[in-house]
Formats: sequence, structure tokens, C-alpha cells
Amino acid sequence: MKLIDSSKHVAGPTKIFMTVLILLIAVGVLQVFIVQIAILWQTPSRAAPMKPKKVSDQEKHLEKIRNSAKQFLPEGTIHLVYEFSDTPTFSPDDQKQQEVYDANGSLLWSGLQKNRPYEYLSWTEVPSGNEKLDEQRMKQIYTITPEFSRPLEIPVRSREKIQQVWRYDPTRQLFVGYRADGTNIGYIGSTGFTDSKSRAKPFGTLKMFTAWCPQGSFSPTLLWQTSKRVYEINFEKQQVQLIFESTKENIKQMSLHKWRDIRPETPQDSKIPYQPLIMCRTEDNKHHLIMKNPDEKMTVTVDDDWWCEALSFTATTQDIFLMRPDTERRVPSALRKSPRLALEWLRKVRSKPYKQWIELYRVDDQGELNLLNRYDWTIPARPGSVVEASPPWLKVKHYACQFSSPLYDLTWYLLGGEFRALSSRDNDLISGFADMVRELRPGNSILNWLLALAMAGFVFRHGWPRQTSRPKLIFWLAFTLVFNLAGLLTYLALNHTPIIKCSSCGRSRCLAQVNCLRCGAELPAPKRRKLDLILNT
Amino acid sequence: MLLAAIIFLAIGGFSLRAQAYFVQSNWLSWGLSPGSVVEPYRLTHYSPLAITGIWLVITSIGLGLALGVRHFLIPLFTRTWPFLLHRSASRQMILGAKLTAATIAFVVSLGSVWIGLYWYACRSELFMVPPPVRVFIEGWLFIVLGLVVYLGTAMTALSKARWYTTKILGLAFAMVVICMIFLQWRLSWALAMVIIGVVVLLSQIIDTFLNREF
Repeated sequence: MKLIDSSKHVAGPTKIFMTVLILLIAVGVLQVFIVQIAILWQTPSRAAPMKPKKVSDQEKHLEKIRNSAKQFLPEGTIHLVYEFSDTPTFSPDDQKQQEVYDANGSLLWSGLQKNRPYEYLSWTEVPSGNEKLDEQRMKQIYTITPEFSRPLEIPVRSREKIQQVWRYDPTRQLFVGYRADGTNIGYIGSTGFTDSKSRAKPFGTLKMFTAWCPQGSFSPTLLWQTSKRVYEINFEKQQVQLIFESTKENIKQMSLHKWRDIRPETPQDSKIPYQPLIMCRTEDNKHHLIMKNPDEKMTVTVDDDWWCEALSFTATTQDIFLMRPDTERRVPSALRKSPRLALEWLRKVRSKPYKQWIELYRVDDQGELNLLNRYDWTIPARPGSVVEASPPWLKVKHYACQFSSPLYDLTWYLLGGEFRALSSRDNDLISGFADMVRELRPGNSILNWLLALAMAGFVFRHGWPRQTSRPKLIFWLAFTLVFNLAGLLTYLALNHTPIIKCSSCGRSRCLAQVNCLRCGAELPAPKRRKLDLILNT
Repeated sequence: MLLAAIIFLAIGGFSLRAQAYFVQSNWLSWGLSPGSVVEPYRLTHYSPLAITGIWLVITSIGLGLALGVRHFLIPLFTRTWPFLLHRSASRQMILGAKLTAATIAFVVSLGSVWIGLYWYACRSELFMVPPPVRVFIEGWLFIVLGLVVYLGTAMTALSKARWYTTKILGLAFAMVVICMIFLQWRLSWALAMVIIGVVVLLSQIIDTFLNREF
């Protein structure tokens, strides 16, 4: 087959692919533009100022208790700590004015935080946003930009100068070390330090890491979490310690308490003899506690209906505690997969008062929980309208999305519950596509199908006189139904040819076909002139 | 081609030299103090070739546009296509010669300078740690981006449609490919994007060039 013939078979599909891709993007941009204009256009309706309601002293007191932090003493007593909101935001923590109430609402103490006579338990916390680098942010730093990707480099340094640099290699999932003169030191992988590339074992896919300089050191130590393992990497000593390994389930959440050897965060909690603690929650909702000084490990299993994300642990040299806050206003697990059902449920319960509670458990040596204390309080119903009217721009969005491809809906239903995970996973292309589908999908609306049918009807009307083959016309009809407006525009971009009136039957016919589709007559030939005779001979 | 090489070499070399001084002094001022949590972003660093990379992208895209216009658009304006096509060489040969010339232009003018600059940055007296190999590959990816722009320009020039309709689709597609590559963190995905982009554009260029009337 000649190149001229074979090129047609490849160029046709690639031309359609290129055109529909660009037009899908163009239609998507236009839809987003229309919605943004609608949001800007919408004037915020100011609610009429509500008359201040007279609040009795009793109600004020109850509100104060509701808004107090619920804190536990090491022996299990609960205190309600109220912080005055008129304290300047930027004042140091210990300069804040506080009141401490007991569980019955009786005032126990009032004054500046630094003078507070009580010392409360502090709890495990997930490292905050600027203290950790998770998988998503790691991908961001390795994203290809005109300035190239930004490698992760850990310096090992004395007070004055850098002695070594350990660079993370995301392809091999290990660290490569360099001396100050640029020569290679070796590799740090899951099995520790080695000077041979072949012997270095990868850590596995990074999920999150946090770094700190231990007291007396200028070199960072890393707590490195992968899907199933947690490592502590000391680059100065070239040591890797496996802190935790889950054999079956992936780690879902990791939180820390006093694990990092850093200066005390608050002077208040220095008197309680805490044990450094890491809590790893796996996908089977088991909480694995890893403690050091002395080294201990424990697994705690809780009921499936507990709000696992909110559970916190702490360990002292005598006891291990679990704090469990919860609320009646938590969306039932059956409704959580569907945002629509969850929203409906929230709207239903919105007008009703609801209970919140906090429980303190002591964890025994077998990982069993013993309830030490519980405190309940009621949140009153929110006054005002029960159901908020949806903003007008949502209607604009609804109509703008009707021009989207029904394929978006199909993708949405096929991927189902995984969609949310998809939008925050893998590469930006997939997550960007997932976000676009979620925002611009037509929602399986009848209007969307009617529009698609109308466009297909237009294609049929336009394409019938221009058709060169029946399968081609059917393909374009199906194409328009599937891609909606982008499909119609692609069809017009690639198939618009001029038509003439047939000299034989007088109906429209295209110039690309020799015979008229209706009557079979050939294209009219020009009248013969004298010059034609010369040319023919 | 020579101009692109000179511009890239001059600016790239100068910025690399300046970066060498900056990085040496900057590394000592890292804010790592004992007993404190380290913000992980402090542990990520731009490559010393970062500014060179920006210029590589600009030069590569610029060269792609210039070559595309010179090879396919100017003969349309000057109406010199018929002179070329009526020579004894076949259309395939003419197109092949143009594409080969463009590829060589990219490899020689930008590729060789890029290899030289990367080699220079790897010298230990300049930077303590040599730039990662990934940066070298990303640089080559930027050079190929220029080739994609060249093909997009060629596609646009060869299209017989009007400027305000589908004529511009070739260049638009090249821009889409560039945007998609700059969303990737995996080199393999970026490479796949480039291959798809080149195949889509090249197949249409071949088909259009062999079949259209000039």
C-alpha cells in the first residue's frame, strides 16, 4: 500500500480525535466562563437585620458551656475551658483569658491561661499542612514545569557547612547520597544504608512524610510513611528504623504525639509524663499504637459506627487514653456515598436540636476500652429558614451543563464511589479530567438527551444531501449523540461542503459525489466550446 | 537555527554561572535549627538549571514556530510551492526533507547546547550535587515540544480552511499537548503525550501534503 493511501486511514481518525478534543475543551471553557459570569452577576441578597434577641443569663451560661473546649485531667475528670473571644488574635496562648467550669457548669477558676492551675491531657494530631508533604504535594513538586521538577534534598550539616546531601529518587523510591565534593556516598532504602545500587531496596510509594531537626542536630530526620509502613530515617547516622508495618491493610491515617524530639510545644504539658506515640489507623479501622521509651505496641479495635477520623490517643507512663468526640449530626454511613442524599439528610435534620458528646476511655493492656467519663451537651436548632433556596447561578450551571457530552454521566456512573478518590489521585491529567466530569456532567437530564437528539436531527438534515456513504452519515449521527455540542461542531468542522441544486431533479446535492443521491444524475458538465475540441484531441 | 543556538547558549550559560554563585551562598542559609519541625518545602530545591530550562522552552517553541512558518507558510504567501513541487523530487521526498531538516535543527542547535550546559552543571566545582538525570530528560522533552509546535504550525499552514475556523486547530492542538505535558509528574506519561501529539499531527500533515492542491 502506498503512503498516499495508507495516510488516509490514519489521518481521518486522528483528525476527528484532534478536533473533538479541542472542541470538548473549548465547550468546557465556555461553560465554566458562563457559570463564572453568572456567579459574578448574582448580587448578594442581604438578609434583613435580625433584631437582637434578649438572652437570659441562664441561656448565656449554657452557650458558654457549649462553646467551651472539653478537656480531661490525667485522672479522667472533665473540665470545660472557655476562652474569651475578645482576646487579641495575635496574643500568645498563655496570655489568653480563660474560665474553667466543671461538668455541672460551676465556675472553678478564672484568669490568664499561663496561671491556670490545671494541666490537661494533650492528644495525637495529624501533622498540619505545613509540617508534612503528602503524596499529592510530592507529585506537585515533581511536576514538569519550565523550571524543571524540584527534587527533594536532605542536607546533613554541621553548624557551619553542609557535609552531605541525600536526594530522593522517585523512580527508584530511595535516597542517593552525595558528599560535599560531589562524589557518591551510597543509597538509603527500606533496608537501610548500602553502597551498592543493586542492594538498595525501595521504600515503596510515599504517602506522607514529616521532618524535624532533633535537639542538638542541624540535620533533618524524616518520618516516612508509605502505603503499609512507617520508617524513621536518620541521615546523619545513615540509619533507617522500621516503626510500623501493616501486613494486609493500607495505612489510612497517621497521627503523632510527642514523637519528634523537638523543643516542648507548650510549657503546660511538660509535667505529665507522656510516652512518645504514633497512631496508625489502617483501612480495617484498627488503631495501631506505637510507643517508645519503653518500646511498646498495641492494637485497638473500635466499633464500626464510631467516627474514626475524630478519635485521638495519648499515652503516659501509667496509662493509655482514647478520646472520642461524636455528634448526632453525622451523616449516616449509608448516605455518605451520595452527596445528594447526604445534603437532603442534612437539610432534614437542620431544623432540629441535636446532641454532641465526648467520651474518655482508658485502654488496658489487651487493647480493651474502659469508659472513664462522658459529657453530653445539646446544640439548639438554628433559627431561620429550614431549607435554603439554591442560588440562581446553580440554575445557570444546570442549563450550561446540558450541552456537555452524556459520556461524562456514563463515566461518572461507571466509576461510582471511586470518583472522589480519583480526583485526588494519580496524575493531574486524570484528576483534572475527573474534576471536569464532576463539575460539567449533565446529570442524566432529559433536556440533555433532547438537545443531543435535536443536534443529531440537524446533522441528519445537513448531512443527507452531502453524504458520500450511508455508514459515514450514521457514524456522524451517533457521534453527535455521544458528544453533544462538541460532536455537532466537530461534524460541521470536518464535513461542511457546499451544495448545489441538481440540474436533473432540482433538489440539493453535494459536489463531492458524482451521482445525485436522489435521481442518480451525474454532475452537470460545462457546455463544449471550440477550445475543448483541441484539448480532447 | 544558529541564532537559536547562540541565544540559548549565551543566556543559559550566563544564568548557570550566576546560579552557581547563588546556590553556593544560599545553601548555607537554610533555616534548619536544632529541636524544630522542618517545613518539608524547605527540603525541595529548584535545579541550578531552572532558569536555563525556561529559556530552553522559549527558544524551542520559538524555533518550532519560526521553522514551521518558514517551511510551510511563507511558500504559500510567495506562491512558490508549485516551483518546488514540479521538480523531479516526489512530494514524499520534499516533505521528508523538510521534516528531517527541522529535526536536525532541533537536535543540533538546542540538543547539543543542552548537553553542553548539563555537562557543565555536573562539574563538582560548580555545584555540590550534580543535577538529577531527570532534569536532563526533561530538557530533551522541552526540545521535542518545539518539534510539536513545528508540526502544529505546519498543520495550520497546510490546512485549506479559513483562519477563523479550523485552520488554527493544528497550533491549538500543539498548545494542548504542551499544557498536558506540563501537568505531568511522570516522565513516561509526558513521553506518551509527546508521542500521541507527534503521531496525530504528523499523520495529518502527511495526508494533507500528499493530497492537497497548491
